[in-house]
Amino acid sequence: MNTKRICDSERKRFDKIINFRLTHKFMNIGIAIVAISIITMFVHAFIMDSDTEWLKIITKQGLLLGMLLMSISKDKEEDEMTIVLRAQSYAIAFIVGVAYALIMPYVEFGVSNVVNSGGEAFKELGDFQVLTFMLMIQLMFYHNLKRYR
Amino acid sequence: MQNTIKVERAILNITQDELAKLIGVSRQTINSIEANRYVPSTVLALKLSKLFNKPVNDFFILSEND
Repeated sequence: MNTKRICDSERKRFDKIINFRLTHKFMNIGIAIVAISIITMFVHAFIMDSDTEWLKIITKQGLLLGMLLMSISKDKEEDEMTIVLRAQSYAIAFIVGVAYALIMPYVEFGVSNVVNSGGEAFKELGDFQVLTFMLMIQLMFYHNLKRYR
Repeated sequence: MQNTIKVERAILNITQDELAKLIGVSRQTINSIEANRYVPSTVLALKLSKLFNKPVNDFFILSEND
Protein backbone atom coordinates (compact mmCIF):
# COMPACT_ATOMS: atom_id res chain seq x y z
CA MET A 1 0.00 0.00 0.00
CA ASN A 2 2.80 2.35 0.94
CA THR A 3 4.73 1.49 -2.24
CA LYS A 4 1.62 2.16 -4.32
CA ARG A 5 1.25 5.58 -2.71
CA ILE A 6 4.89 6.41 -3.46
CA CYS A 7 4.42 5.29 -7.10
CA ASP A 8 1.28 7.44 -7.44
CA SER A 9 3.09 10.43 -5.96
CA GLU A 10 6.02 9.93 -8.37
CA ARG A 11 3.62 9.60 -11.31
CA LYS A 12 1.79 12.78 -10.33
CA ARG A 13 5.11 14.64 -10.12
CA PHE A 14 6.10 13.35 -13.58
CA ASP A 15 2.71 14.41 -14.98
CA LYS A 16 3.18 17.89 -13.53
CA ILE A 17 6.61 18.21 -15.19
CA ILE A 18 5.37 16.83 -18.52
CA ASN A 19 2.27 19.06 -18.62
CA PHE A 20 4.09 22.20 -17.46
CA ARG A 21 3.35 25.18 -19.73
CA LEU A 22 3.66 28.92 -19.21
CA THR A 23 0.70 31.17 -19.94
CA HIS A 24 0.29 32.74 -23.39
CA LYS A 25 1.63 36.15 -22.29
CA PHE A 26 5.09 34.55 -21.99
CA MET A 27 5.01 34.08 -25.79
CA ASN A 28 5.04 37.88 -26.23
CA ILE A 29 7.72 38.27 -23.54
CA GLY A 30 9.82 35.64 -25.36
CA ILE A 31 9.39 37.40 -28.72
CA ALA A 32 10.42 40.72 -27.14
CA ILE A 33 13.55 39.18 -25.55
CA VAL A 34 14.51 37.51 -28.87
CA ALA A 35 14.00 40.78 -30.78
CA ILE A 36 16.06 42.80 -28.28
CA SER A 37 18.82 40.16 -28.32
CA ILE A 38 19.02 40.09 -32.13
CA ILE A 39 19.08 43.91 -32.37
CA THR A 40 21.80 44.06 -29.70
CA MET A 41 23.81 41.40 -31.59
CA PHE A 42 23.67 43.50 -34.78
CA VAL A 43 24.58 46.69 -32.90
CA HIS A 44 27.46 44.88 -31.22
CA ALA A 45 28.72 43.41 -34.49
CA PHE A 46 28.46 46.45 -36.78
CA ILE A 47 28.36 49.62 -34.67
CA MET A 48 30.23 49.08 -31.41
CA ASP A 49 34.02 49.04 -31.61
CA SER A 50 34.88 48.22 -28.02
CA ASP A 51 35.56 44.65 -27.02
CA THR A 52 32.53 43.77 -24.89
CA GLU A 53 32.61 40.03 -24.36
CA TRP A 54 30.04 40.25 -21.54
CA LEU A 55 27.48 41.80 -23.93
CA LYS A 56 28.02 38.97 -26.41
CA ILE A 57 27.40 36.39 -23.67
CA ILE A 58 24.28 38.18 -22.39
CA THR A 59 22.75 38.52 -25.88
CA LYS A 60 23.38 34.83 -26.57
CA GLN A 61 21.75 33.85 -23.30
CA GLY A 62 18.89 36.29 -24.00
CA LEU A 63 18.27 34.70 -27.39
CA LEU A 64 18.18 31.21 -25.85
CA LEU A 65 15.93 32.31 -22.98
CA GLY A 66 13.53 34.12 -25.32
CA MET A 67 13.22 31.13 -27.63
CA LEU A 68 12.73 28.80 -24.65
CA LEU A 69 9.90 31.01 -23.34
CA MET A 70 8.30 30.98 -26.80
CA SER A 71 8.67 27.21 -26.93
CA ILE A 72 7.08 26.40 -23.56
CA SER A 73 4.30 28.99 -23.51
CA LYS A 74 0.72 27.99 -24.22
CA ASP A 75 -1.17 28.92 -27.38
CA LYS A 76 -4.16 31.24 -27.36
CA GLU A 77 -6.30 28.19 -28.07
CA GLU A 78 -4.60 25.26 -26.41
CA ASP A 79 -6.25 21.88 -26.95
CA GLU A 80 -5.25 18.23 -27.34
CA MET A 81 -4.24 18.69 -30.98
CA THR A 82 -1.79 21.52 -30.25
CA ILE A 83 -0.27 19.33 -27.50
CA VAL A 84 0.24 16.50 -30.04
CA LEU A 85 1.70 18.90 -32.61
CA ARG A 86 4.07 20.37 -30.02
CA ALA A 87 5.27 16.89 -29.05
CA GLN A 88 5.85 16.08 -32.74
CA SER A 89 7.83 19.29 -33.23
CA TYR A 90 10.06 18.48 -30.21
CA ALA A 91 10.72 14.99 -31.61
CA ILE A 92 11.65 16.41 -35.03
CA ALA A 93 13.84 19.13 -33.46
CA PHE A 94 15.70 16.54 -31.38
CA ILE A 95 16.46 14.30 -34.38
CA VAL A 96 17.43 17.21 -36.67
CA GLY A 97 19.54 18.72 -33.85
CA VAL A 98 21.55 15.53 -33.37
CA ALA A 99 22.07 15.22 -37.14
CA TYR A 100 23.16 18.89 -37.24
CA ALA A 101 25.65 18.37 -34.39
CA LEU A 102 27.11 15.35 -36.20
CA ILE A 103 27.32 16.78 -39.71
CA MET A 104 27.87 20.54 -39.28
CA PRO A 105 31.48 20.42 -37.91
CA TYR A 106 32.56 18.56 -41.07
CA VAL A 107 30.67 21.03 -43.30
CA GLU A 108 32.29 24.01 -41.54
CA PHE A 109 35.70 22.36 -41.77
CA GLY A 110 35.22 21.62 -45.49
CA VAL A 111 33.92 25.10 -46.31
CA SER A 112 36.73 26.85 -44.39
CA ASN A 113 39.27 24.73 -46.30
CA VAL A 114 37.72 25.65 -49.64
CA VAL A 115 37.32 29.38 -48.86
CA ASN A 116 40.67 29.92 -47.11
CA SER A 117 43.44 27.93 -48.69
CA GLY A 118 45.06 26.03 -45.86
CA GLY A 119 41.79 26.18 -43.90
CA GLU A 120 41.05 26.14 -40.21
CA ALA A 121 41.53 23.41 -37.65
CA PHE A 122 38.60 21.03 -37.09
CA LYS A 123 36.42 22.26 -34.21
CA GLU A 124 33.21 20.96 -32.67
CA LEU A 125 30.01 22.97 -32.39
CA GLY A 126 29.31 25.00 -29.27
CA ASP A 127 26.31 24.35 -27.03
CA PHE A 128 24.80 27.73 -27.95
CA GLN A 129 24.83 26.92 -31.67
CA VAL A 130 23.23 23.48 -31.22
CA LEU A 131 20.58 24.63 -28.72
CA THR A 132 19.64 27.69 -30.80
CA PHE A 133 19.33 25.51 -33.89
CA MET A 134 17.14 22.94 -32.06
CA LEU A 135 14.84 25.64 -30.64
CA MET A 136 14.59 27.29 -34.05
CA ILE A 137 13.65 23.98 -35.69
CA GLN A 138 11.09 23.27 -32.94
CA LEU A 139 9.41 26.67 -33.26
CA MET A 140 9.45 26.53 -37.06
CA PHE A 141 8.03 22.99 -37.26
CA TYR A 142 5.38 23.72 -34.62
CA HIS A 143 4.30 26.83 -36.52
CA ASN A 144 4.14 24.93 -39.81
CA LEU A 145 2.38 21.89 -38.35
CA LYS A 146 -0.26 24.22 -36.90
CA ARG A 147 -0.61 26.04 -40.20
CA TYR A 148 -1.18 22.84 -42.20
CA ARG A 149 -3.29 21.00 -39.62
CA MET B 1 -10.27 5.90 -39.37
CA GLN B 2 -13.14 7.71 -41.02
CA ASN B 3 -15.91 9.72 -39.48
CA THR B 4 -19.27 11.31 -40.20
CA ILE B 5 -18.92 14.29 -37.87
CA LYS B 6 -19.74 16.69 -40.69
CA VAL B 7 -23.08 14.91 -41.17
CA GLU B 8 -23.81 14.84 -37.43
CA ARG B 9 -22.97 18.54 -37.25
CA ALA B 10 -25.33 19.24 -40.14
CA ILE B 11 -28.12 17.32 -38.34
CA LEU B 12 -27.63 19.54 -35.28
CA ASN B 13 -27.33 22.55 -37.62
CA ILE B 14 -24.23 23.94 -35.96
CA THR B 15 -21.02 25.37 -37.43
CA GLN B 16 -17.48 24.04 -36.84
CA ASP B 17 -16.86 27.00 -34.54
CA GLU B 18 -19.97 26.30 -32.48
CA LEU B 19 -19.11 22.59 -32.19
CA ALA B 20 -15.55 23.51 -31.18
CA LYS B 21 -16.83 25.77 -28.41
CA LEU B 22 -19.28 23.13 -27.19
CA ILE B 23 -16.55 20.51 -26.68
CA GLY B 24 -13.74 22.90 -25.73
CA VAL B 25 -11.32 22.68 -28.67
CA SER B 26 -10.29 25.02 -31.50
CA ARG B 27 -12.17 25.29 -34.80
CA GLN B 28 -9.03 24.05 -36.61
CA THR B 29 -9.11 20.84 -34.56
CA ILE B 30 -12.70 20.15 -35.66
CA ASN B 31 -11.69 20.89 -39.24
CA SER B 32 -8.76 18.44 -39.00
CA ILE B 33 -10.97 15.72 -37.48
CA GLU B 34 -13.60 16.14 -40.19
CA ALA B 35 -10.90 15.97 -42.89
CA ASN B 36 -9.51 12.75 -41.30
CA ARG B 37 -6.15 14.42 -40.64
CA TYR B 38 -6.38 13.99 -36.89
CA VAL B 39 -7.77 11.15 -34.77
CA PRO B 40 -9.18 12.59 -31.53
CA SER B 41 -8.57 11.20 -28.06
CA THR B 42 -11.11 8.96 -26.30
CA VAL B 43 -12.12 11.90 -24.10
CA LEU B 44 -12.95 14.05 -27.14
CA ALA B 45 -14.74 11.16 -28.87
CA LEU B 46 -16.90 10.64 -25.76
CA LYS B 47 -17.67 14.37 -25.58
CA LEU B 48 -18.83 14.19 -29.21
CA SER B 49 -20.85 11.08 -28.44
CA LYS B 50 -22.60 12.88 -25.58
CA LEU B 51 -23.31 15.90 -27.74
CA PHE B 52 -24.63 13.90 -30.71
CA ASN B 53 -26.46 11.54 -28.33
CA LYS B 54 -25.10 8.54 -30.23
CA PRO B 55 -22.50 5.83 -29.53
CA VAL B 56 -18.97 6.59 -30.77
CA ASN B 57 -19.17 3.69 -33.25
CA ASP B 58 -21.96 5.46 -35.10
CA PHE B 59 -19.78 8.34 -36.30
CA PHE B 60 -16.24 6.88 -36.11
CA ILE B 61 -15.65 3.98 -38.50
CA LEU B 62 -12.45 1.92 -38.73
CA SER B 63 -11.01 1.79 -42.24
CA GLU B 64 -9.17 -1.17 -43.80
CA ASN B 65 -5.75 0.26 -42.92
CA ASP B 66 -6.52 0.42 -39.17
